[in-house]
Amino acid sequence: MLQVTVAGLKLENPLMLASGILDQNGYTMKRILESGAAAVVTKSIGSEPRDGYLPPVIYPIEGGLLNAVGLSNPGIDNIGGEIKIALSAGKPVIGSIFGSTPDEFLKLAISMEEYGVSAVELNLSCPHVQGYGTEVGSDPVLVRNIVKNLKGSLRIPVFSKLSPNVNSVLEIARAASDSDALVLINTVKGMAIDIVAKRPVLSNIYGGLSGSAIKSVGLRYVYEVKREMDIDIIGVGGIENYQDALEYIMAGSKALQIGTALGKFGKSIFYRISTELAEYLSKNNIRSVMDLVGAAQI
Amino acid sequence: MINSTIVEKIRETPSTITFRFYWEEKVLPGQFIMIWVPGYGEIPMSLSFTGKKKGITVKAYGVPSRKLQELEPGDRIFFMGPYGKPFTESHGKRLLIGSGSGMASLLPLVNQDSTVIVSARNREELLYIGKMQAERVVTITDDGSSGFKGLPHEYLASMDLSVFQRLYVCGPEVMMFKLLPLLMKAGVKAEFSLERSMKCGIGICDSCSIDGFQLCTEGPVVSIEKLSGLNEFGKWKLDHSGKRIEV
Repeated sequence: MLQVTVAGLKLENPLMLASGILDQNGYTMKRILESGAAAVVTKSIGSEPRDGYLPPVIYPIEGGLLNAVGLSNPGIDNIGGEIKIALSAGKPVIGSIFGSTPDEFLKLAISMEEYGVSAVELNLSCPHVQGYGTEVGSDPVLVRNIVKNLKGSLRIPVFSKLSPNVNSVLEIARAASDSDALVLINTVKGMAIDIVAKRPVLSNIYGGLSGSAIKSVGLRYVYEVKREMDIDIIGVGGIENYQDALEYIMAGSKALQIGTALGKFGKSIFYRISTELAEYLSKNNIRSVMDLVGAAQI
Repeated sequence: MINSTIVEKIRETPSTITFRFYWEEKVLPGQFIMIWVPGYGEIPMSLSFTGKKKGITVKAYGVPSRKLQELEPGDRIFFMGPYGKPFTESHGKRLLIGSGSGMASLLPLVNQDSTVIVSARNREELLYIGKMQAERVVTITDDGSSGFKGLPHEYLASMDLSVFQRLYVCGPEVMMFKLLPLLMKAGVKAEFSLERSMKCGIGICDSCSIDGFQLCTEGPVVSIEKLSGLNEFGKWKLDHSGKRIEV
């Protein structure tokens, strides 16, 4: 009833762990899979190890979190062991990668494929690091080339995670249309100031806003892209309960990612939402959650 | 951010300073706060005083802690919290084993039924000596400049631990790792406060994780039963980039 197929990937339920949350240590990813997530997406991995920014890098605000972690990651050569540990849970692991050129993305993706991931997710959307993320993901020509380059060389599906911090999400979505799925959306660029210290709280000044505060923004892009394009969409942004999940599914998402809500509700959120979704489907005599994908499109 | 004004600054040892400040929040022994040093970083700190007049004991370690040590009474400190699960309170005789700045999180547990083992590199670095209302204070130093020369697990080997209702341990992970087999063999009730690098305090960044548990929300206090089942304890941790390194 809860099984979905997205980008050709079979998932036991529509819920995955979003990239950037509890996903650098293999044992943590394994535990999240054992807590009911159908898949996990790793922290975004680049070519070299990066420490990221000086803390504070994460700051809770009303309705969510601001973060500017700064793409801290152990580098592609050091992530294989963690993925191996996560894979021992017997569920799909998706490798998130970030680069600045088509060749760099390809190199990272090939390593991820060798490590045994079920798909790669391209981080075209981190809002707070120069030369990566949104800076790459706001250039439609570059996005098209990155995706094309990967699609010709990989056996596993390619997800493109897009940013809302661009002039036209639809334009970038079209540029990434060779992807097997689009992941909508990454965080919304923002900041916070401490009025006593009289300075920005995040050491990077700007960060990305996630959590319930951005749910309506995410929904809008899922809905808009689904209306214009025939492509699988994975919805992410502020999902905290089964009603949020249903909104994203009815807007056009085949699968969902959850991240920030883990800080508020813990790892049991995957089990809770999938149980609630199953109850909803039974109560309403709906055979499969897939029947609801895009149901709200008018 | 929460903020408060420093009302007292106490030099404890050549490398550690205690700051006292008022904060109404109820905080239990073993819980911690994330201190923001604007412009220099953010660090987790256990509360060494948990009454209304709170306290932190800061060891000069990296840039943020050095900058924090430069603050004076009247200056503001900024922080978030309290975070983490506290120590379990117990009645009867208790044994506290604190190594280095690990003594800070144990200080609020000291009472007249406590035997306190304070360990440090040398005599000058022993924390809170002469300030604790304990039944007994034992000192251990690496260089033998005060008390027993050696490490806590070597000293404890000759102690009768059965008289204690509960043991509380805080210090470097390697020290606690060496202590664990001895305490397991003795069959005592014990809790350990673990320390790993932390970036969020709210269970999402995965920096402080050990075997899939987040120390910031599910610790930092861990029971001896749970600790003995962990694969990563005393062996592996992730560095700031997330790279797996030996503890």
